[in-house]
Amino acid sequence: MSSLLSVEGVTKRFGGLVAVADVSFDIAPGELVGLIGPNGSGKTTLLNIMSGHLFADQGTIRLDGEPCTGFKPQRLARRGLMRMFQLTRIFPRMNVLDNLLVGGRALGLHVDEARERADALLEELQIAHVRHLDAGQLSGGQMKLLEFGCCFMRTPRLALLDEPFAAIHPTMKEIMSTFIRARHAEGQTFVLVSHDMPVIVELCPRSICMNAGRVLSDGKTSDVLAAPAVIEAYLGGAAA
Amino acid sequence: MLTGALAADLAVNGLVTGLFYALMAVGLALIFGVLRIVNFAHGEFYMVGAYAYTIVAARLGVPLAVALPTAFLFGAALGWIVERTLMRPLYANIATWGLMRDEYAVIVTFGLSLLLVNLVDKAIGPYAFRAPALVSASRIVVGPALMSGQKVAAAGVTLVTLAFIALFLRFSYWGRAVRAVSQNRLGASLAGIDATAVSSLVFALAGGLAALAGALLSPIINASPDVGAFPAIKSYVIVVLGGMGSILGAFIASLLLGLVESFGAVLVSYQYRDTFGLVLLILFLLFRPQGLFGERGREV
Amino acid sequence: MSGDIRLRREFIATALLLVMLALLPLVQRDVYWLGVLVVSAYFAILASSWNLLAGFTGQFSLAPAAFAMIGAYGAALSATYYSVPPILGLIIGTGAAGLIGLVLGRIVMRLKGPYLALTTLSFAEIARLVASNSINITRGDLGLPIEGWFNDRVLWFYVFLGALAFVICGLYLLLRSKAGLFLEAIRDDEIAAARSGVRIVFWKTAAFAISSAAAGFAGALYAYFASLVTPELGLVQQTGLVVSMTVIGGMGSLIGPVVGAFLVYVTSEWLRDVGGWQLVIFAALVIVFARLFRTGLWGLVTAALQPRRGKPA
Repeated sequence: MSSLLSVEGVTKRFGGLVAVADVSFDIAPGELVGLIGPNGSGKTTLLNIMSGHLFADQGTIRLDGEPCTGFKPQRLARRGLMRMFQLTRIFPRMNVLDNLLVGGRALGLHVDEARERADALLEELQIAHVRHLDAGQLSGGQMKLLEFGCCFMRTPRLALLDEPFAAIHPTMKEIMSTFIRARHAEGQTFVLVSHDMPVIVELCPRSICMNAGRVLSDGKTSDVLAAPAVIEAYLGGAAA
Repeated sequence: MLTGALAADLAVNGLVTGLFYALMAVGLALIFGVLRIVNFAHGEFYMVGAYAYTIVAARLGVPLAVALPTAFLFGAALGWIVERTLMRPLYANIATWGLMRDEYAVIVTFGLSLLLVNLVDKAIGPYAFRAPALVSASRIVVGPALMSGQKVAAAGVTLVTLAFIALFLRFSYWGRAVRAVSQNRLGASLAGIDATAVSSLVFALAGGLAALAGALLSPIINASPDVGAFPAIKSYVIVVLGGMGSILGAFIASLLLGLVESFGAVLVSYQYRDTFGLVLLILFLLFRPQGLFGERGREV
Repeated sequence: MSGDIRLRREFIATALLLVMLALLPLVQRDVYWLGVLVVSAYFAILASSWNLLAGFTGQFSLAPAAFAMIGAYGAALSATYYSVPPILGLIIGTGAAGLIGLVLGRIVMRLKGPYLALTTLSFAEIARLVASNSINITRGDLGLPIEGWFNDRVLWFYVFLGALAFVICGLYLLLRSKAGLFLEAIRDDEIAAARSGVRIVFWKTAAFAISSAAAGFAGALYAYFASLVTPELGLVQQTGLVVSMTVIGGMGSLIGPVVGAFLVYVTSEWLRDVGGWQLVIFAALVIVFARLFRTGLWGLVTAALQPRRGKPA
């Protein structure tokens, strides 16, 4: 099975601290992979490297077999790698519709095409009623849904979602999970970072657990969650 | 050709000029460290000090020993008022500017600069004022150089003031509070420090120092409405060179700039002596934005 | 309100304003006041160009006056040393400013907020000092004379008004297109813009280049009007005026700079006879508007005319 995203030997140091240590894994097209691990395990740093916001000290990243290490985020976006941020980032002084259009137009959609896509997304995410408000006026959960939607204006090859379910209303969580499940059924590839174990179990057939910059366990979610090393990492030695 | 004597003379003069720059630059660095903004009205505090000293000493006949602190207090009062009335949106997260706090700071301090220059121009008049010299001795030998008595006296006052500031920052409660807030505003306030009071203090201090510089130099550079433009630009250059927010960096960079300009005027070009600093500023901002002693910030 | 609709309203409002201004010479024939209107139009073009960069793209450059000066010198120098006809002089002035703006924009790519302001300010000062000190070429502070094009003040007013209309139309078309989306996205959140695929380097540089070219165009036109180009065109105080006008009129709106420019300059000349405190008042207004009414006069007008919609429950 050819890999969509391959991470090979990626290492990142901040001064004396090794944030990511020799991490390698492959993600095949159509997978929905959970990326878990306690705070400080290097998940966000790894995600930043994968999405072009940080440069790895060592290692390569390939998208569809083509190396893309060191590419800027905008270049990766045009290659189909979309990333959602943990701390919501939208365009506060532009209205909701325009927020979506930015991504659509930047990725090559024509005006009408982009508008259609945006309208469809707004409907599916159930925020169509606020389309004319400035994004800065939305509630926190609505903003998150908006940012989430921005990642899908053009069908991404790979969507990296950084804690999408953090601190939002269960209804919105449900909207997002339904969306993810629907797209996954169509063959969309996801990497999902989350602390929300029930969601990981529910959505992700496969999980990768990190701790202290290394990959502790990589495989079927139920196996990973049962692995002693993983339990120890989360709960401390006594619980193992 | 650069003889030893000439070099020594240039060096001393450069260092002395640097000292005066330091009064402005240290204040600006303090403001940046605590409020994270560049105060584009800094030159006007200098101007206010020059006028305060000149008017108080020349018109009201107040003894010079009193006129200087008066100028300082004038600048400090103005700084305090400016911070209280205009700088609140920076940390109060008032909705109008929200994410654009930097831009707000640029516009508001720019506007303030225009306001003060034009206010003085209208209220007092556009002409330069002569101020009485601190010391009437005209030529004093300082090491290898020959300087006017006024300059020596001013340099002396400057050194004493800077030393006091250094001690204040290092050892007093409020000095340490200033340093804490510059490093981490939220953390400092969680630890019980009143960060807003520190902001007011710092703006007042910076205003006072700049005013003092204006006062000290007013016998040489007479007070006029736009007298502050030049020193302001110098202090921007210095704060960038030294590292935004670093007081020590500001001090060292001030001396360095004084030396560079002093030697550059003779060795490179007298005409363009004011551009050296500007070119350095651009180069530093492009290639070493943290300056000599500053820190790099994180983005994502 | 949709960004599209908002922009269209501003454009229509601006067009109406320009039509009203075009009727002014019918009632005002005084040479002095026509001159004031011409200079106001000059500032309107300059402020609009700065608004593109600062209001729409979020890049607070303090160099607009310097670019106007560069445009003016471009025209004057080519006219003086190469005897080019005025149209060509305008093109050269605009092109020179645009080119230098392109380079500067590329250089300051990574700078934000106060760092960007300081760098552009330094550049502006250096440019002015070079113009002032290159006495052999520019005659320094004495100024470089340039053969006037024509003398009729009324005609000059219409030329400037036409130029302003041209610039506004250009801005409208630009902002209506995807460029407008990208520039505003860069202003609001550069990282989010990058994540969405916007080519930051290209668009930021483009904004700088277009803004500087427009400023240079204004400067070159002014050179022919004033028949003399001095380094005073590039003084920081001139940039201060441009910033004031834009803030008071309304940053980030198409009509704000035009309203601000005419209002501030005409009133300032009007009050000059009365007392002369106009600059103080305007500076105070800038502060008040910055502090309380970020959207400027235009923002106040639109807010007053539209009932506010609250957040959905």
